[in-house]
Amino acid sequence: MGKIQPPFSFLASVRMAVVIILSLATITAIGTITEARMDAEVAQKLVYQSIYMYLILGALAVNLISVMIDRWPWKQHHSGFVLAHIGILLIMFGAWLTQKYGVDGTMSFGIGEERRTVVVHDRELNVYSSLDGSSFQSMFNGEVDFLRHPPTPEKPFIVHLGNEELKFIQYQHFSFRESEIVPTTNESDGPAIRFQLENPNVNLTQWLKREKRRPAAETDLGPAKVILAQDLPAPMGRNAVIVIEKPGSETLDYVIYNKDNSVRKSGKVKQSETVDTGWMGMKFRLLRYLPHARENIKYVPSLSNSPIATPSLKYVFNGEEYWLGLNTVMRLYLADKMYAVSYGQRQIELAFPLRLKAFHIGKYEGTDRAASYASDVEVPGRGQVNISMNEPLQFQGFTFYQSSFEKDERGEPVASILSVNQDPGRWVKYAGCVLMIFGCIAMFYFKRVKWRRPGRQHGVQLDSLKQAGS
Amino acid sequence: MIRLLLFMLSALSLNAHAGLGTPLERLPIQDSGRVKPFDTFARESLQLIYGKRSFEGRSASEVVFTWLLIPDHWLSTPLVEVNDKGVKDALKITSTEKYFSPQALFTNDRVALIFQELQSLRERQEKLNPYFQAVGRLENQLALFQAIRAGVALRLVPDPATDRWKSVNELEGDMRDSFVKVSKGFVDSIANAPDAKTAEASPEFAAAVSEFMDKARAQAPDKYADMKRIDWEEHLNHFQPFQWAWVAYVLGLIFMYFAGFMRQGWATKPGWLFLVGGWILHAYGMGIRMYLAGRPPVTNMYETVVWVPFMCVFFGFVLYKVQKSKLLLVCSATIAIFCLILTNLAPTVLDGSIQPLEPVLRSTFWLSTHVLIITISYAAFFLAFGIGDVMLFYYLKDEERYAQEIRIGTQSIYRAMQIGVVLVATGTILGGVWADYSWGRFWGWDPKETWAFITLLGYVAVLHGRIVGWIKNFELAVAAVLSFSLVIMAWYGVNFVLGAGLHSYGFGAGGVEYVTGFVVVHLLWVAYVSTVRYGRPKKAT
Repeated sequence: MGKIQPPFSFLASVRMAVVIILSLATITAIGTITEARMDAEVAQKLVYQSIYMYLILGALAVNLISVMIDRWPWKQHHSGFVLAHIGILLIMFGAWLTQKYGVDGTMSFGIGEERRTVVVHDRELNVYSSLDGSSFQSMFNGEVDFLRHPPTPEKPFIVHLGNEELKFIQYQHFSFRESEIVPTTNESDGPAIRFQLENPNVNLTQWLKREKRRPAAETDLGPAKVILAQDLPAPMGRNAVIVIEKPGSETLDYVIYNKDNSVRKSGKVKQSETVDTGWMGMKFRLLRYLPHARENIKYVPSLSNSPIATPSLKYVFNGEEYWLGLNTVMRLYLADKMYAVSYGQRQIELAFPLRLKAFHIGKYEGTDRAASYASDVEVPGRGQVNISMNEPLQFQGFTFYQSSFEKDERGEPVASILSVNQDPGRWVKYAGCVLMIFGCIAMFYFKRVKWRRPGRQHGVQLDSLKQAGS
Repeated sequence: MIRLLLFMLSALSLNAHAGLGTPLERLPIQDSGRVKPFDTFARESLQLIYGKRSFEGRSASEVVFTWLLIPDHWLSTPLVEVNDKGVKDALKITSTEKYFSPQALFTNDRVALIFQELQSLRERQEKLNPYFQAVGRLENQLALFQAIRAGVALRLVPDPATDRWKSVNELEGDMRDSFVKVSKGFVDSIANAPDAKTAEASPEFAAAVSEFMDKARAQAPDKYADMKRIDWEEHLNHFQPFQWAWVAYVLGLIFMYFAGFMRQGWATKPGWLFLVGGWILHAYGMGIRMYLAGRPPVTNMYETVVWVPFMCVFFGFVLYKVQKSKLLLVCSATIAIFCLILTNLAPTVLDGSIQPLEPVLRSTFWLSTHVLIITISYAAFFLAFGIGDVMLFYYLKDEERYAQEIRIGTQSIYRAMQIGVVLVATGTILGGVWADYSWGRFWGWDPKETWAFITLLGYVAVLHGRIVGWIKNFELAVAAVLSFSLVIMAWYGVNFVLGAGLHSYGFGAGGVEYVTGFVVVHLLWVAYVSTVRYGRPKKAT
């Protein structure tokens, strides 16, 4: 028998090991199915970083350590077993170091832009307040994990802001943004129009809403702009329809500019009236005019785990319900002040900036299929460095990898996305891997020597571990 | 010299007769990111549209070329394979026919509708279910037929200005005349033959094609095809080494069966001859593919289904050297025959065309370490599985009588599992190192790596269970069969069933019902043998 005595001998037993191994296999299998059904983030948070996973890994560590203590003093034929088991422990320790102290994020910049921020996976909630709309004061800043701990109406997540409070009552992991414009009587809400542009080839209907504190709102429809403004803006070298409100009046003024900055037409327009713009038979129809309107943003649950769905939060402020999507900012106006609420990924500031000089896509001959991606990046003190797939940049403890890119409508790349990584556990894990592999080979080698010994008809029922233990 | 050799080998070709398309076969064409012989292009196109590599006994080159010359005839010919019942229902097709004319599909007003649905799914980046995958195939079939009919898919002449070759409808002046001569030669060959079906290429036609090739080369000599590669690929198409390999394995299997199980000593030598011959043919085919693709043969499902049995046969030889049992040769040969026939039977699931690689995979070093090692471990586990299956058969028949075979089988399973465990552990770790090197994370619980890990855990559990005596000889055979389900999940399931994760470059569709059937049949087999064996009165061992 080994050194570890009952009732603790089960800790060092191989039976225990088999149970742990099978549990680990089961939970990770559940993880892969979760990822296929939901997404990688859900699988990470709810399976791979769950308490069950940590319990199983903890049990594995205890088992590995106990079994090695139990077999002490080690003999030569133990070398493989000891190496392999120490290797596994090292891998687990390295993984813990990475999890605890590592950085794993992304950095994206347009061509010509400079960046020093890295976006990581953790989410944070920020609330700022402002009295005048220009200077902001931070009221709340904190890391939140709503996927793991979703707020509910019964157990809300509350942010206290002096006299007011933000009460978060729902989290949706997969949702789509929807917005609608609703009329209000609130003087602090700006106006909105709904218009239609129509000719035999084009038929387009759209809302345009102006915030009270901004002089104009505009929408760019490619060939022409539509602008809703308080006062007539100067020509901007574009075809444009400008609609100007007159407080207290149902009738609006309009001015149509040509590309050459001349005025094509001007006059008055009311709700349901049509103006002939004269551009290729295009008619401008004012469908609705709301002197005061609010944009209601809603997030509706997505039925499937579509990759373009986004997480969203529902919260209550001043008795009204609002939605907030991931990586968006929402402004809440009160009579005397304003709050800005943002929910997004946490950012880390690097000690140095990187500038994206150029981005290259190599293509397979005669096709649009990408064969390679590469970013030319300017690194302080190092000049221009080429980062490509399988060829990362190492700089000041961080490693930058070519991850992906963004393209415009014509398919031309406009921005590059790098993975940024700092992994203090890397070499511990590598050392563990090497030990484990050599340990396995040694174990099987020693077994082979025994295996060939004459007189053993029943294969390998006994083995070095068992012999040492018994 | 090489060409002569290739020609002689090609004379052994399984294709019945060469026919009218022959001169066209060597014509280089730029398609899907590489330059290939027209024959390959034609076979792949016909495979996609018609589901076979020849049409009513006529070669692909001949058929595909006539899509360009006499499109009206082909428009009304039932040519487009539509198998999926869901697609047929969506198109309101009630007939049980398998093939439909392009015209019938182009004029079916539901076609545009289902293509639109597919497009909106793609825009939302949603995963495609089998129905929409079938719609996607129909879209590709019709688009390719149109592109060939209009000539835009036939990029035959390099352009000195760009990387993109000129298609036949873009040709001008002399090049255009030369192509007209080719077409005319082709048509005349039919016209002068007594029967269009047995028409052979006329010498004028062959001359016109080679003149066209010379002129095309002169346009941009450094961009034109390397004819040595073209000839090797032509040879691969005609010779079909993998088919000959499995034929040789079948013969080897039969002889080895007689030698090992019927005690017919004379059969050993021919058995070895065919097994080793088959293995050499197997290696020969993979060698050519590696030369053509310029990478290790493990970048898609087809290539691994060819590569894994190759290593399986290799492990069969190695273990034979230790155990001296023909059982191992029989098992490994059976696996090889099974896999190679599979590649013939399911060409749509196991697509054998040489395709360009995703950027991240373009690293021969990592491909030939990580992926190669992982797939070799699959081979070891596959062999253990095969032996396990046979062991179960022995247990069912008579445990005592076959005690000797069972002992050898058990030792071989155990050894194969050990080799597999070391390899799958090494391969998985190397995958982590690659991921760390090119993505910046060693381990991210990506489904493919996770299933490799689960496979490792499964087999490690078996080896540990053996230590404590939970797994005796019979249970080891059972474990070898059952644990292979994990390999199937890691190998096939992640890409074809789960379809999630970063290894998306390997995703495919089809065959789920057959693979599930394979696994279920083995579960039932294990359950049956276990019931019978545990039901027997215990004898002292």
